[in-house]
Amino acid sequence: MIVHINHVQPGRAEFTSSVVSALLSLLEQGHVDPEVLSYLNVHIDWVQYKTNFREPILLRRVYRDETLLPLTEIAVDLRQIQPENLRESLATVLRCANPNGVMPARVYLESYTPMRASIIWAFNQVFWQHLLIWEHASGKGYEKALPSGQSDGHNPEAIADSVHEFWERLRDLESRKLLPPEIYVLEIGVGTGERANRWLDGFLALDQEKETQFYPKLRFLACDYSEVTLHRVMESIHRHKHLATFVEVNAMDPFRSLQHLRYKVLLITLSNVYDNLPTDELVLRDGRLFAVEVRAYISTPEVARICEKYQVSAGEFKATVDQLLTAGPETLFSTLEQGVGFWRDVWAGVRLEERLVAVENLSEAHLPVGVKPSHIEGLISNAPSNIRFHVSSGAAESFISTIQLLHPRGYLQVQDIFVEKLTDYLHSFRGPGKLDGSLVNWVNGALLAEVGKQTGYDVHFAPFRYRKGSRTSILYTTQRE
Amino acid sequence: MSLPILPTGVVGSYSMPGWLERLKTEYLLRRISRQELDEIHDAAVKAAIKDQEVAGVDVITDGELRRDNLVDYFVERLPGVQIDRASKKFYYDFYESTVRGKMPVASLGLVPDFKFLMANTERAAKFCVTGPHSLVKRIRNEYYKSEEEFALDLAKTLNLELKELVRAGLRHIQIDEPYYSGFPEDLPWGVKIINTLVDGVDAKITLHICYGNRYGKPTWAGNYRYLFPAILDAHVHQLSLEFARRGGEDLDMFKEFSSRFEVGVGVIDVKDHTVESPDLVAERIRNAAAFVKPDRLVIMPDCGCLHLPQPVAFAKLQAMVQGAKIVRKEIEGR
Repeated sequence: MIVHINHVQPGRAEFTSSVVSALLSLLEQGHVDPEVLSYLNVHIDWVQYKTNFREPILLRRVYRDETLLPLTEIAVDLRQIQPENLRESLATVLRCANPNGVMPARVYLESYTPMRASIIWAFNQVFWQHLLIWEHASGKGYEKALPSGQSDGHNPEAIADSVHEFWERLRDLESRKLLPPEIYVLEIGVGTGERANRWLDGFLALDQEKETQFYPKLRFLACDYSEVTLHRVMESIHRHKHLATFVEVNAMDPFRSLQHLRYKVLLITLSNVYDNLPTDELVLRDGRLFAVEVRAYISTPEVARICEKYQVSAGEFKATVDQLLTAGPETLFSTLEQGVGFWRDVWAGVRLEERLVAVENLSEAHLPVGVKPSHIEGLISNAPSNIRFHVSSGAAESFISTIQLLHPRGYLQVQDIFVEKLTDYLHSFRGPGKLDGSLVNWVNGALLAEVGKQTGYDVHFAPFRYRKGSRTSILYTTQRE
Repeated sequence: MSLPILPTGVVGSYSMPGWLERLKTEYLLRRISRQELDEIHDAAVKAAIKDQEVAGVDVITDGELRRDNLVDYFVERLPGVQIDRASKKFYYDFYESTVRGKMPVASLGLVPDFKFLMANTERAAKFCVTGPHSLVKRIRNEYYKSEEEFALDLAKTLNLELKELVRAGLRHIQIDEPYYSGFPEDLPWGVKIINTLVDGVDAKITLHICYGNRYGKPTWAGNYRYLFPAILDAHVHQLSLEFARRGGEDLDMFKEFSSRFEVGVGVIDVKDHTVESPDLVAERIRNAAAFVKPDRLVIMPDCGCLHLPQPVAFAKLQAMVQGAKIVRKEIEGR
């Protein structure tokens, strides 16, 4: 058995040792089959998100295709586990790990699948489609659910700096007679339109102050996947409406809708978009690569409780969840209140089982569109031999699609939560977590940097210095010569 | 070797296979030997030659598959230029290179690569060199007082090399100057340097000026108006320009400024993986022919096919050849 301590959480040393102690005591008492013991890896983590998809103690099996391999993992979340039932919980999972061990009773919502294809993303989509209903039921706006209680996306100082940097770029291009006749600026994921409005106000003011006549050449594209959002933004930026275009785009493939702007856009901004896009995860174990597959479930007792509360028969539970995800909460019961209550209870109960599947050949792995085996090889070439990291499938696809729109002298600016170095994954859990009714994952910035390097852009990260304690950072690209 | 009206050609590079990229990097990391890499290059070049021949291209190259990028092939050979071998981790990256003293004039030793091309094809063969203006933008200058002065010495060295290549049988030379479009203010001295470079070189000289193709995307944007009238003083026979991706709106300059140049008109967008139809190619040729007499047109891609997957590059070259045939037939039928 190998014990991996994957956290550096202050004040948890004693509890960590009590986990190890309980583990050794159970081994001593013969709770683990000797065959299992020789291939057992125990990972002790600190899961950052208070609400997430993991049980306090989790068993992971390992497969090559559908063949079970002897390597077995147990993951312990120090944050969730309670000292008083630590020993019993460990004993239960160790029993499951033994040959012929029986898993606890669970109602599965899907079969094993790569994480990006999991049903949890359908829940995420329902949340954004019915945000107002959810907010009404919870009695607070989405931003209040953020760890800081506010979004860094429309911080006035950050926006002012963004305006200044862009204006400087334009002035430089103009001085070298390289300024195009039309100045395209694109914001993807415009949300309320507050950021767009502040940015445009700031740009107009600066342009007037400096008398540079850039504003009349501006062509601002406000992009979002939601038509409702775009209508709201039209109102928010009505002062600048004459130079704005509102476009429905898929954040994972903006190029599809905007290909007529290939190589024309001088500035593309995104704020808090990448962390809400589907992701996969890869794991290195003793230098060998595995993909994480997941299977969403709710414990059988929890399903029984929900069914009783909403008077749904056990046999109809899965169909009711499917209806929630396809038709929305308002279609489930006679009152909207019941529908939203069911939705919230189900979401609270959703957990993920995990298994690792050996990746024998990267070129046959299901990598995000545009991500080549060489990107992953470059990323892990100097990685520690045991590490788990995001592939950030949605973010990578979005990045690759978006940079095709950039003018040769243009740049991309993304505000989000980035893991800047792969080794940062060693010491902290980075999602997925539940954020109100939505999903959140940190974004593998190191992978984006590798992808950028091989596609002609250097990727840099700057700390978000506008709010103390912010975990946000700003990714920006420069042309790679 | 006589060529038809509207002859087809390539700009230089051909599709770089993924496996070759990996092996070039393996060599860089010292996992395979120079001899092994040379053998690999020979095989890849033969395949590139065959593809161009089968596609029906009239003037072909070796696909430039021995080169890591447009600069290092020359920088590694230029006398007096020091390179930091540790500065490059991926084959496509540029070496950090520096000139710290006056460059001596000496051979670069490119003749064997040209002879290999000649030995493996019956077609008209072209050899491309990166021009002095582009090279001075990539080599750190710690000696010369100006870029122009540095470029002049580079031109003298490259001139010697071109003459050696001509002695070895080279008839078609292409000079690549993609950095003009990023530094249009350099053009007046850039043209003088070109004239030094080609002085006494007895071959057909093409000057290729694009907006960059690094990583398969443009490095610059704008239009070719900046070239005129300065470029008219260049002692070259042909200008190769990209029009497929950008559209042909600045072709009218060839009417506005009466020039003696042939025009290598880009009819294939090498930054887009969608394969053009022969009809679209023909339309682009007809469009160019409205501004430049057909007997002075050469049909080419916008730039090298380096970043295109092989099936795409091959299909694009086939479409280019077919498109040229369509218009050729129209002209011959008049």
